[in-house]
Amino acid sequence: MIQVENLRKEFKKAIKEPGIKGSVKSLFKPKTEIVTAVDDISFNVSKGEILGFIGPNGAGKSTVIKMLTGILTPTSGKCCINGKIPYENRKKYVKEIGVVFGQRTQLWWDLALRETYAVLKEIYEVPDKQYRERMEFLNEVLDLQSFITSPVRTLSLGQRMRADIAASMLHNPKVLFLDEPTIGLDVVVKDNIRKAIQKINAEEGTTVILTTHDLSDIELLCDRIVMIDKGNLVYDGQINNLKHKYGQMRELCFEMKNSDDLLSLDYKGHFTLDEDDLSIESDGVSATIRFNSDRASVQEVLKYTLAKIDVRDINVKDADIEEIIRRIYKEGV
Amino acid sequence: MMKSFFRTYMPFAKAGTQQMMAYKVNFIFHLIGEIMSCFIMFFIWKAVFTSTDGKTFMGFTMNDMIVYIFISFMTGYLSYSDGAFVLGEEIRDGSVSMRLIKPCSFDMCFLFQEIGNRVISYGIIFVPIVAGVEIYRYFLMGSVQFNVGNFIMFFISLQFAYLINFYFNIIYGFLAFYLKNLWGTTLIKDVIVNFLSGATIPLAFMPFALQTFLTYLPFSSLSYTPVMIYMGMYTWDKILFSMALQIFWIFAFWGISKLIWRSAIRRICVQGG
Repeated sequence: MIQVENLRKEFKKAIKEPGIKGSVKSLFKPKTEIVTAVDDISFNVSKGEILGFIGPNGAGKSTVIKMLTGILTPTSGKCCINGKIPYENRKKYVKEIGVVFGQRTQLWWDLALRETYAVLKEIYEVPDKQYRERMEFLNEVLDLQSFITSPVRTLSLGQRMRADIAASMLHNPKVLFLDEPTIGLDVVVKDNIRKAIQKINAEEGTTVILTTHDLSDIELLCDRIVMIDKGNLVYDGQINNLKHKYGQMRELCFEMKNSDDLLSLDYKGHFTLDEDDLSIESDGVSATIRFNSDRASVQEVLKYTLAKIDVRDINVKDADIEEIIRRIYKEGV
Repeated sequence: MMKSFFRTYMPFAKAGTQQMMAYKVNFIFHLIGEIMSCFIMFFIWKAVFTSTDGKTFMGFTMNDMIVYIFISFMTGYLSYSDGAFVLGEEIRDGSVSMRLIKPCSFDMCFLFQEIGNRVISYGIIFVPIVAGVEIYRYFLMGSVQFNVGNFIMFFISLQFAYLINFYFNIIYGFLAFYLKNLWGTTLIKDVIVNFLSGATIPLAFMPFALQTFLTYLPFSSLSYTPVMIYMGMYTWDKILFSMALQIFWIFAFWGISKLIWRSAIRRICVQGG
């Protein structure tokens, strides 16, 4: 469905020296440098898949999405979606896709929401019957009825986002690009939106590309993730594999009887762990020890801890996906 | 082909009208402001005419001048296009990308949206001003001055003027790529365009050489041509020639705007997000 090959995007960026002198200088002799936002990325997505596309801020996620949706033209490389090249013949291509940019809206700011849908119906040439069915379906999963007659500028963020998602799916797109569709939303709305995405994917077989910073979106919706950092692809595979591969981190949490006890514990020296394999947080009463279980087994760490100090409560946790990704963002693969 | 074209873009016109309705008060105050500046022009020229000895001033009678002021005001108002502002703003804040993900031409979307706006402008000012001017002329001259042929040609020429203005402003809007903010330059542009198009002073008042030169520039097509046609100052030959010139400029600006757009979206650097 989607093939991305050696995709690359460079931007020219003007460098301005500080102050008025710099401004004047840049007017006559503009200096530019080339910034590579996306560097040689390749991946494939098959039909009906929900792909999580993640990476830290400024990694180049949005740039990739913009190239896949035909907004930007790649510097080099190729992307082909549903047999079409986005930036060639844009008008034809965008008829088959739906796009939501969480930070922007495609709705008509001053008009009642319903009017935006009426406009979209015409520009995507959706037949009346299909339009009615579609609206019914979207209304059911996204609950638009209560605000469909209000002007868009009066909608809350959660309502607007639901409306935006509905707008992107009105024409039954084959591929749906969702760029941070849950940004700034509360738990309940997030939940509704996730359910809607799942339902649409299951019922229509829509391929979904989802970028987000909320990893629970990823855990609930996606099987596979593509992770990029500084324009490079750093991981492409199942979430479970990621857990297996990087899941050696464990968390040991305990509550101490005496707050000074922590000082008597020397995990670093005892197990010869380095910085990456160990982190200790404490608020005086309870402490959280994160450690690499390949280097120091859970049993040994527990034994050592209990032998040294008295604890009120203790438990060991698996690292969750968030912890794994935090590690990768921080250190690379 | 034609049918699906209108099916695609008519909703934009409808939405444009509704959008205008959403800001009624803004619209009305803007209109009042424009009408006031039109009356200021009227009183200035009245002072000029009462202080000259002859009945005419550079070939214009007082009566001509009044028709000129009001019809050129109306032409300016009805051929106004703020596509430049909208496009400039969208490029600046990156929301132009929301246009790119829709299966329609950017210029047609703007155009139809503005046509939707203009429906209301027409309803409010076209009939009253034309009727007002004609009634005034009737009482002054004692006979009906209205010429159907001229009026029809004026109306067509007015639409041409609008299209030239529209594409000219789209091209100007691309300056936002370089200037980031168009507010200041727009003020300068408007003053220059108003002067060169004859909206401030009739081109007939200018030295002959300059007048001839300005007639060939696109600006005279924006205001001077339709107004002269309305006033019956042009012979049929001249009418056809000026309108051919208008059509030339429409295509010229349309072509340039397409070229710029094509190269611009290749190097567009969507800001933010």
